Amino acid sequence: MARDELDILFSLAWPLLFTVVPLLFSWIFGNIYQRKKQEELEVRVESFGTDNLTTLKSPPTQVSASGLLTANIIMSVSWWQKLVGGIKTIFGGQVQTWDGILAWARKEAMQRLREQARAGGFDNVINVRLETSEIQSSKGRNTAVEILAYGTGIKT
Amino acid sequence: MPEADAQEVQTIEMLMSNTETIPGHTIIQMLGIVTGSTVRAKHIGKDILAGFKNIVGGELKGYTELLQEARAQALQRLVMESHSRGANAIVNIRFATSAIAGGAAELMAYGTAVVVG
Repeated sequence: MARDELDILFSLAWPLLFTVVPLLFSWIFGNIYQRKKQEELEVRVESFGTDNLTTLKSPPTQVSASGLLTANIIMSVSWWQKLVGGIKTIFGGQVQTWDGILAWARKEAMQRLREQARAGGFDNVINVRLETSEIQSSKGRNTAVEILAYGTGIKT
Repeated sequence: MPEADAQEVQTIEMLMSNTETIPGHTIIQMLGIVTGSTVRAKHIGKDILAGFKNIVGGELKGYTELLQEARAQALQRLVMESHSRGANAIVNIRFATSAIAGGAAELMAYGTAVVVG
């Protein structure tokens, strides 16, 4: 009967609407959004020119002034990336979705530190440290990571 | 931290560094370890907004700002404590973050209070 088949279709459509459709949405728009943001960061890094960050403990030159600088970013994975990553943890191996997000977050945090140093009139940043910590929402559903980059800005 | 304290902190001149000395200065006296910490929870509205942002992933700006402010407050407390000990600089500053309960995080800054000349 055509009526029964329609009923079955409808009963299938509802669960699909709340599972597959948001995931597809997340996959398509997440990819577009993240690619756009990453390209913007590339442009910022390239137009900045030199890299003024070092992990050296002591300044290589004479210093006239110094100050503490911090830059942070909180980054989360999209629903799609979370799902793919979750499946990956069953089989083990490289989790590419998280991999990319963390690399991106670190790059962004370091770029922010560079820009902050330049805005504060510092020539170099020494003893740069990177720290990663997990951030949880109140229900523990949305996990995100915080990357903190800090160092001592020096004026030569 | 109350507003008055925050204003008071801004008048304090404190040299800060995460290196073992303040570049260009020499340490005269060590005054021991100082800590400054704060526990912050997120606003439920921001939590819901972040939930939506999770669909596409990427930066959660609300949280970035929140933790930035919290860390600034932890640093302010560090400065207050060092000042009360008579220090004019803090060296070897380290940051630590720990998730206390779901939705709340403790941000801590610690270092060594010193007098430099």
